[in-house]
Amino acid sequence: MSSLRLVPANTTKAASVQDTKGSFGLHDTLQYGPRGLAVEIKSQGSLKDRLENWEETQDNLKLNLQRNVHGMHLPMRVLMERKLVATQPNFMGSLMGTSNVHLDVLMGRDETIEPADVFLGMDSGHPVDVRKEFERRYNL
Amino acid sequence: MSKASVYSSPGFDFSNLVRNNFLHEKGLPLPKATSTGTTIVGCVYKDGIVLGADTRATEGDIVADKNCEKIHYITESIRCCGAGTAADTEFTTALISSNMELHTLQSGRKPRVVTAMTMLKQMLFRYQGHVGAALVLGGVDATGPHLFTIHPHGSTDKLPYVTMGSGSLAAMAVFESGWQPNMDRDQALNLVKAAIAAGIFNDLGSGSNVDACVITASSTEMLRNVEMPNVRVQKERDYKFRRGTTAWKKEEVRSLITEESVTLLTGGDEMDTS
Repeated sequence: MSSLRLVPANTTKAASVQDTKGSFGLHDTLQYGPRGLAVEIKSQGSLKDRLENWEETQDNLKLNLQRNVHGMHLPMRVLMERKLVATQPNFMGSLMGTSNVHLDVLMGRDETIEPADVFLGMDSGHPVDVRKEFERRYNL
Repeated sequence: MSKASVYSSPGFDFSNLVRNNFLHEKGLPLPKATSTGTTIVGCVYKDGIVLGADTRATEGDIVADKNCEKIHYITESIRCCGAGTAADTEFTTALISSNMELHTLQSGRKPRVVTAMTMLKQMLFRYQGHVGAALVLGGVDATGPHLFTIHPHGSTDKLPYVTMGSGSLAAMAVFESGWQPNMDRDQALNLVKAAIAAGIFNDLGSGSNVDACVITASSTEMLRNVEMPNVRVQKERDYKFRRGTTAWKKEEVRSLITEESVTLLTGGDEMDTS
């Protein structure tokens, strides 16, 4: 049951042409609208999935090993600590960026530099969230 | 919203991936990253390590840089030569150098070559060979001198003498006939210079000058352009006219300053505290 997988698995593609086919076996435009690129592609983005799931897979490996060696309590405690720390106080829509030092310490990346630290800037969050954030705080 | 996860993002933007895969399936050739030809070598001798590299960076058929530096700094006693895509080797070695410095500060000990090797191989394995960096890593630490090669997919070798790059066969031929265990400094340096020269003269992708780096337990000596076998010859013709080609008739020097006087401003140099 506990998988000690080191490298992210190759998942099969979520969308395919078979989802939208009509009685002829082709894409049914009348029912589903024009064809989209996401279902046309046969190949999967293997490097993208590998990179995005890398840290999660390594983390699952560590938690599984902790469970096998020390018992069920240890991964539960670790996940509990992370959850306590991971609530981000987003001061008015992340103008100064979101950096959670406690979470970095718990995840073991407080003393390393990754390409994500160098190439930062794309993942700066959606601008619409500011209103939602404010609403949430106002109702609070 | 994405996973809202505790994990850091990979740092790269994959939003064009579906479009690129679609175009590739329709038959459009994907652009290939240009890889540079290189000759890089390393060898172990009695007191430590000698690393060597050529200095040519190519962009297809053109020489992009006639005198580039391929021996990168990792720590004070650890250096890394890089072959493959130049941007990849520079970025990877700079990243690992920063991580090694942080690790040294955290552990309080002198850094080890195996630490750098492990960091490099784990990073290159994660990118599945898409980071085109073939490296020769060498250094001296508390356990002695070590020399490793790291291939772009993440495999490593630990050997007493190594060569990488497009000129690696020419350089390895020189090593195989000349290397002995426990050489002294001059023998090892001459062997490395001969190996790089073999790569420079017999491989199109390598050229220009020879760089070397001698690492011992007490010091690291960077010998930039230790041998320059490709100096340009002096031009046979000259564009300057010989003095006396034409006679000049008159010489007049006119000073642009007609009158000069110094006026002292009120208060002189003191600070204005009014």
